[in-house]
Amino acid sequence: MSVLEARALTYRAEDRPLVEDASFRLEPGGLTMLIGPNGSGKSTLLRLALGLLAPDAGEALIDGTSVRRLSPTARARKAAYLPQTRPLAWPMPVCDVIALGRFAYGAAPGRLSAKDAAAVERAIVACRLAGFEDRAADTLSGGELARVHLARALAAETPLLVADEPVAALDPRYQHEVARLFAAAAHAGRAVLTVVHDLTLAARYADRLIWMKDGRIIADGSVADTMTAERLAEVFGIEAEVTPNGSRVSLTVAGPAR
Amino acid sequence: MTVRANALLTLALIAAILLALLLGSVPLSPGRILGALGLQGNPGDILVVWQIRLPRALAAALVGAALGMSGAALQGLLRNPLAEPGILGVSATAALFATFVLFFGLAGAGPLILPLAAIAGALAATLVVAIAALRTRSAVTLILVGIGLSSFSAALMALLMNLAPNPFTLADMINWTLGTVANRSFADLAYAAPFLAVGVGTLLATRRGLAALALGEEAAEGVGLDLRRQRLAVILGAGLATGAAVSLAGAIGFVGIVAPHLVRPFVGYDPARLLVPSALLGALVLVLADIGVRLLPTDSELRLGVVAALIGAPIFVWIAARGRLVE
Repeated sequence: MSVLEARALTYRAEDRPLVEDASFRLEPGGLTMLIGPNGSGKSTLLRLALGLLAPDAGEALIDGTSVRRLSPTARARKAAYLPQTRPLAWPMPVCDVIALGRFAYGAAPGRLSAKDAAAVERAIVACRLAGFEDRAADTLSGGELARVHLARALAAETPLLVADEPVAALDPRYQHEVARLFAAAAHAGRAVLTVVHDLTLAARYADRLIWMKDGRIIADGSVADTMTAERLAEVFGIEAEVTPNGSRVSLTVAGPAR
Repeated sequence: MTVRANALLTLALIAAILLALLLGSVPLSPGRILGALGLQGNPGDILVVWQIRLPRALAAALVGAALGMSGAALQGLLRNPLAEPGILGVSATAALFATFVLFFGLAGAGPLILPLAAIAGALAATLVVAIAALRTRSAVTLILVGIGLSSFSAALMALLMNLAPNPFTLADMINWTLGTVANRSFADLAYAAPFLAVGVGTLLATRRGLAALALGEEAAEGVGLDLRRQRLAVILGAGLATGAAVSLAGAIGFVGIVAPHLVRPFVGYDPARLLVPSALLGALVLVLADIGVRLLPTDSELRLGVVAALIGAPIFVWIAARGRLVE
């Protein structure tokens, strides 16, 4: 059974299709990156797949169950979600932010069962945040904060992790750090689905790429199979040189396509 | 930390209520107060303690607790430290509805009419503000909607005063707008208390959800919060508690913003653990302010709401000026 299955998901806003007939399956243990230009429907597809948005047609299944039939708590125990904007309202300490990842299990900051505390501890170690537990969230750098949010999502210990541009607005070093944490989470057995804008990052870390354009999935496969100069020109309107590099590819972007 | 803060605040509140029993126009020794509390001794003492001072102190405490907790909960829901029943126009609308009932002489129809009217006003205003909050997601717009609502309620209130049929109705209405707990009886407390208890209980039940909302609404949904139910419960709880408070004391502002603000650092900025100490501090502040009101040698007694605003408004400006508004 697939961890996540999207069946012909379609969503329209004011008669304009934002997502059209999108289908894919996610199996455990892979880092899948969703790529496409701005406005191609990536974030909408993530929200449809998680049941946070009701589709106009099609359905999404998590672990074989339709997301519309899962309660918010039941869904949150199977899928952790990192939305695009993650503003913290209050400068809470790092350990309390991560503890909120255990919300679906009845936990709250300062009220963690032994099991919750152990999960939070594992997430802190995985995201290399040991020593940061008592720091106020508003004293952290962008890269540290991104790791805190990831740790929050990992603390739920769900079979599925979905993230919307987790590395946007980070310095290159932090982009790679966070991308590696996602890859590690995937190789530890999770199904990980994330929207990424940086194509070199996608080429470097993704096990699988799902390409979107104008609300449709137009390609789905490994980096080596799908990342071609023609496709980059078609989807992103850029002129790029793609050279094979082991099981992956190297990418040099020359500029906008003529 | 939270437990110790709550214990300290509870002790301080009890001490303040005892102090409120001690102080007043008739000097009573602690011994006579304790005797009167146990219904022993001079009947005059018993009257002063049970009919005048105790209900007044308890009313101040209940109103402060309701406003403190409502403020903390609304701030958690709207993710904004400036959200508060007074600022958002909830208290003013509740007071307007109550004044409306007084104006048309409907309050005589039954003792529950006044609290129900105040609660209806509070719920209506909370709903308007919440809808505005969900549409705009901008803190500034939200505050502006609250200011608009406050001004509109104030305008309608002024209209009612303008049309007041006689000086007695006018005096009644002025008391509502200014806010006071003078001359409250245990009967008044009993009519407001059930609504207040349900409101506070509802707010306490939303605590964990308020903590999740610190992550943002989308992420809170992601960790398993039923957002719609959460919003409804906070609006209902804050509306009931604020409405009950207004039915007891009229419109008293700024308690709901000052109390949570002072407590927040001591609970690790956790919106869930903020509720109880905010209620306790709100109660403490109003009991102390009411003692001050009674002791100040002014010709006519100052109204509690006036003193609360005189202290609270500058603190509001200070928070607004230095705080980082959540946009």
